[in-house]
Amino acid sequence: MTTNTTPGQVDEQPILRVENLTVEYRSEGFEPVAAVKNVSFTLRRGEFIGLVGESGSGKSTLGFALTRLAKPPATIVDGKILFHGSDIRTLDAEELRKQRRGGFAMVLQSGMNALNPVRTIRKHFHDIFRAHGHVEPGSFNARASELVRKVELPETVLDRFPGELSGGMRQRVSIALALSLEPELLVFDEPTTALDVLVQHAVMDTIRQLQASEGFTAILISHDLGIVLESTERVLVMHDGVVVEDGPSHQILDDPQAEYTRMLLSHYADPRAEEIHIPGFSTRGRSADAARAERATTSPRSDARAARRADASIVVEGASKVYAPPRRGEKPVVAVDNVSFTLAPGESLALVGQSGSGKSTIARLVTGAEKPSSGLVRFGDSNLASLRRRELRDLRKNVQMVFQDPYAALNPLHTVEYTLMRPILNFTERRGEAARERMLELLETVGLTPAETFAAKLPHQLSGGQRQRVVIARALASDPQVLVADEPVSMLDVSLRAGVLGLLEDLREQWGVSMLYITHDLLSARLVTDRMMVLNAGRVVESGPTADVLRNPSDEYTIRLLDAVPNPARAREGR
Amino acid sequence: MTYALRKLGMLLLTLWAAVTLNFFLPRLMPGSPADAAIAKLSQNGPVSAATRAAIEAQLGVPGGNLLEQYVHYLQQVVTLDFGVSFTFYPEKVSDLVLTALPYTVVLVGIVTVLAFVIGTLIGVLAAWKRGTWMDTLPTLGGSFLSAFPYFWIALLLLFFAGYVGHLFPTSGASSPTAVPEFSLSFIGDLIYHAALPALTILITSLGGWILGMRNAMINTLGDDYVTFAEANGLRGRTVALKYAARNAILPNLTGFGLALGGVVGGSILVEQVYGYPGIGYLLYNAVVNQDYPLMQALFLMITVSVLIANFLVDILYGVLDPRTRR
Repeated sequence: MTTNTTPGQVDEQPILRVENLTVEYRSEGFEPVAAVKNVSFTLRRGEFIGLVGESGSGKSTLGFALTRLAKPPATIVDGKILFHGSDIRTLDAEELRKQRRGGFAMVLQSGMNALNPVRTIRKHFHDIFRAHGHVEPGSFNARASELVRKVELPETVLDRFPGELSGGMRQRVSIALALSLEPELLVFDEPTTALDVLVQHAVMDTIRQLQASEGFTAILISHDLGIVLESTERVLVMHDGVVVEDGPSHQILDDPQAEYTRMLLSHYADPRAEEIHIPGFSTRGRSADAARAERATTSPRSDARAARRADASIVVEGASKVYAPPRRGEKPVVAVDNVSFTLAPGESLALVGQSGSGKSTIARLVTGAEKPSSGLVRFGDSNLASLRRRELRDLRKNVQMVFQDPYAALNPLHTVEYTLMRPILNFTERRGEAARERMLELLETVGLTPAETFAAKLPHQLSGGQRQRVVIARALASDPQVLVADEPVSMLDVSLRAGVLGLLEDLREQWGVSMLYITHDLLSARLVTDRMMVLNAGRVVESGPTADVLRNPSDEYTIRLLDAVPNPARAREGR
Repeated sequence: MTYALRKLGMLLLTLWAAVTLNFFLPRLMPGSPADAAIAKLSQNGPVSAATRAAIEAQLGVPGGNLLEQYVHYLQQVVTLDFGVSFTFYPEKVSDLVLTALPYTVVLVGIVTVLAFVIGTLIGVLAAWKRGTWMDTLPTLGGSFLSAFPYFWIALLLLFFAGYVGHLFPTSGASSPTAVPEFSLSFIGDLIYHAALPALTILITSLGGWILGMRNAMINTLGDDYVTFAEANGLRGRTVALKYAARNAILPNLTGFGLALGGVVGGSILVEQVYGYPGIGYLLYNAVVNQDYPLMQALFLMITVSVLIANFLVDILYGVLDPRTRR
C-alpha cells in the first residue's frame, strides 16, 4: 500500500469529503429525476463505512458518482466530491484514469459479470499493470500470484477463463483486481448479493480481513442492514436519495434516530431467538410444541381446514433425481438423493439449503414438472409419474407455484386482469361476471386494493412487492390445495418482505392451503413454517419443527447455515 | 483440439448428407434429362429409335439398381467427374467449374472478408464514439447504402465509372489481349477488371456489418466487465478493443459465416451485370439453358462451400470464445 498509515488506524485527516452532492437521471423528453439529493458526508482515512438503503434509494448511484463511473443518463448536477481536497469532478479523462491507481477503486455488484469472458484471469491483471506501469514487467506474474493468494484463491485460477470459475471465486478475483490498483479508497457495491449464503459469508470475511490488513478506506454499499452492521464501524442510511441517518454502527443498532432506520431494523431478527417480533407477525417464536398445542385448541381455522379435501397430502417416498452428466466422461449429477416427506393439508414445510442443494428440484418433482429417477411422489392417491392428461390437469389445479422472480414471472404484455382470469377460466367453473368477481376478490385477498384499479394495470406499473402479490393471487386463482413457494421474497426489499410473508401465512391459516416453502433465508422460514427440512447436496441432513431445528441444530451443515446469517449485534463488539 | 476434431467430424457427416441428398433429390422427380430432350424434339415430328438411343447415350440413362447407381455416383463425385456440359458441349463440367471458381472465390471472397473487416472496424469506432458525428455518419450512411438493391448500384457504377468516365473496363475478368501468367502486369489487369464488381459488393454489404457491429458493441459497452475495466483505469483503446469489441464480434461471426458460405452462389447478379466469368455467371447460363450436369455440379459446389465456410467460422469461434471450446 502507498498509504503511510498503520493498518486499521483511523486518521483524522479526511480522505473524501462530499458536499451537497445531487445526481439526477436525465433523459430527453422526461423530467429529470433526482436519485441522490444534496448528500454531504466526510470519510476519514482508514474508515470502513456502510451505505444502506432499499432499491431505488440512490445508494449505488452515489457509489458510482464517488468513483466517477456515473454515466449518462446519470448526471452530477450539483455539489463537490473532494478526494484529498481536490474535486474529482474537474479531472479530465487522462487525469481520472491515472487517479484510479492508488486512488479510488470499485468492486461491482455482479462480480459474476465483471470479468471479460474471453480473457484469462492472468491477462486481467496484466492489463491493469500495463495500463498504470506500477509493476515492473518482469514481476507481473509474481504480483498477480501474490494478489490472488491474498483473496484466498489458488494460483491456478490465473490461467482460467472467468466462465470456469464459480460466482464466489469470480467475486474474489474482482476484489484482487481492485486491490492490484493499491487503492486508498475502495467502494464495494453489493459485493455479495448475487452469491450463495455460505459463499457470501466467506467473501465478507475476506473483505473485512483485507480492510484491516491492507488499511484501505472502504465504503460497503448494501441493501442488507445486517451485513453492513456486522462489518462496518459507521453507517449511512439512505432513503429516497437522502441520507436519513449517519452514525456509528452500534448507535444505529441500539438507538436509531430516523424513523426509516427503525423500520429497517424492525425487520431483522435472529432466527435462533426464542421469540421473534417482526411487524405484521404475531410471535411465532415460542417453542413449537406450545404453538402446536395452541393451534389444536383454536377452532375457527380448523373449520376452514375441514372443508379442504382430506386426501390432499403430498407424499414423497425415497425420491431421487439423477441428471445425465453435463459432459461426456463425467459423473451423473445427483440432484435429489433419497428424500422422503409428507406435506399434510394445511401444513407448512420449509426446504432450506444453499443453491445446488436440491430444493428447487424437489419443487419440480412435487409440481410434476419432473419425474423422479427412483422413488415415488404422490398427491393424494395418485402417483405423479403415471398421471394422464386429465389427472395432470387436476394436479396443476391443486398444486400451484409461486415463483422467485416477480419481475420475470408475469407476462409484461398482459394486464393483471388477464393474468388472473386465465387460471380462473381454465381451472374453475366460474364464467363471465362470476369469474370477474372472483378475480377482484383475489386481488383483495392479496391486499391489492382498490381491486378495480389494480386489475387494469400492466406489470411494469407495479412495484416488486405488488407484482409478487399478483403472482400469489394467480397461484390462488385455481383454488389450489398446495402452494409451492420458491424463494418468494428473496428479490424483494426488506420492507416489502414482511407483507408478502404475512400474506402467505394468512392464506394458510384462513384457507388451509398447505405450503412447501423453499428458501435459503432462515428467518423467513422461521416466520411462516411449522416444520423444516435442511438439504445438503440433495440429501436431507436434518428435519423437525422449525423452531427446534433452528434453536438446537444437530447437523454441522445447519450450524454453518445459521452462522452465515448476518449478525447485526456484532456492531456492539466494536472491532 | 478435440473441439476441432469434433467439428471436422460434423463437417464430413454433413458433407456426406449433402452429397447423398444431391443424388436422391433429382431421382425423386419424374422423368429424366433424356426424356425432356426427346419430348422437346418430338414437338417437331416423330423421333426415330436411333435418335432416341443417341440422346440417351449422350445424356446417360441410369443403369443398375439404386444402390449401384449411388456407389457409382459417389465414385464420380470423388473423382470430380460430373459429365459433359450441354451448353458448352463438349467441355467437361469439372473443367468449367474449376476455371470459373478462382474468379469468384478470389473476387467475392476477398471482398466479403474485406467488407467484414472494414465494416466491423467502423462499427467499433461508431459505438465507441457514440452520439458524435463518427457515430451518426457511418450509421446513417450504412443504412442508406445497404438499402439499395445491389444490381442497381452495379448499373450505376457501370454507367458512370465505365461508359461515361472510362475509368474501368465494363466487362470481363481480364483484357482480351492479356496473357494468363504469374506476372505483375497480368495480376494488375485482373484487379483492374475486378474493381467495379468488387466495389459494388463492398458498398452494398458494408452497411450491414457497420450496423451489426455498432449495435452489438453498444450492448457490450454496457456490460459490467467494461465498467469494471474503466473503473480499473485501463486505457481507452484497451477497453474498446480487448474488452468491448472483442466480445461484440462474437455474435457477428455467425453472420460472417453465412456471408462466406454465400460467396460461391451469391454473386449471380453482379457477375451477370459485369460479364464476369465466375461461378454466378456459369450458374446463370446453366439454368437458362437447362444444363443439368452443370447445374448439379454447381449446386453441389454451393452446398459444399457453405458447409466449409461454416466449419471455418466454427473453428474461428472456438479460437475466439473459450466458452464454446468445452
